[in-house]
Amino acid sequence: ENSPAPLPERAIYGFALFLGSWFGFMLYLIWAYVPEAWLFSLGLTYWPQKYWAVALPAYLLVAVGIGYILLFGINMMSTAPLNSTHTITDNYAKKQQQKKFQEEAIPALRDIPISEVNRMFFFPEK
Amino acid sequence: SMEERRYRSSSGAPIALRCRQHSASCWELAVRCPRLQLRSLSAVTSAIWLAAYGLFVLSENSMVLSAAVFITLIGLIIYLHFVKIDQESLLVIGSLGVQVTSSYASGKESTTFIEMSQVKDVVINEAIYMQKVIYYLCILLQDPRDPQVVSEVVPLFQSSKPRLDCLIEVYKSCQEILEQRKTVPQSS
Repeated sequence: ENSPAPLPERAIYGFALFLGSWFGFMLYLIWAYVPEAWLFSLGLTYWPQKYWAVALPAYLLVAVGIGYILLFGINMMSTAPLNSTHTITDNYAKKQQQKKFQEEAIPALRDIPISEVNRMFFFPEK
Repeated sequence: SMEERRYRSSSGAPIALRCRQHSASCWELAVRCPRLQLRSLSAVTSAIWLAAYGLFVLSENSMVLSAAVFITLIGLIIYLHFVKIDQESLLVIGSLGVQVTSSYASGKESTTFIEMSQVKDVVINEAIYMQKVIYYLCILLQDPRDPQVVSEVVPLFQSSKPRLDCLIEVYKSCQEILEQRKTVPQSS
């Protein structure tokens, strides 16, 4: 079954990821800092431009910042306006079946129409 | 009989509810918002004129000052005529319909009339508005040929946004009249 306990396979995956991410980071640092002449002399000529070593992190941070604002905006846009019927009902509530009322049984679960709810709340029980 | 009571809007501003019962099946409910305050008007005008004076000092162009005066005047007129609502009223006449009126600060009045056969119910609904959940009164409209389905929702008192205690008063008065519809058969 699924459990969060440590397992030998998980230890191996974790270590492989750890080594891989360190290797990737070292590669990035070498590409960013070592002058091109030294890399060419080793025979490694097909690298992306060093411009991207600074541009990609900058793009990433700006994207994260815009993402916060974008998420806030998307949330506000998908909120139903005050004059829409989605604040009152939806497709599931419209198509629900009315079950027959049985004596001494708990009433079936259903969506109660807003008029009934209002009457219950705002007219004091006599 | 006429009564005026003080309440608060959902943002804390003081509003006044005036209920008038013309007859057993006719209620007029009006919510009055606070008028444009002199201090906020002076604050905005001074801010715009100080900014324009700063621009004038930087650019040495006196058109900036006249432009600022024009903008302030025209902005004030547009605000009073199109934005600032002084009073929103609801006139419910059982057997006839519901009339919703908004009076602007410049004197303009905008009126909507809804026939009684189209009114399904008047309810207090809660919905998310900006970053809050507010209570607001709304009229549920129905198509007379299919009375079970809510065809449209008309929110009321949109600019004064009264709180729940004021809304309950309006709701009870409206329900008094709407209930008479069921007991008195309508002539169609």
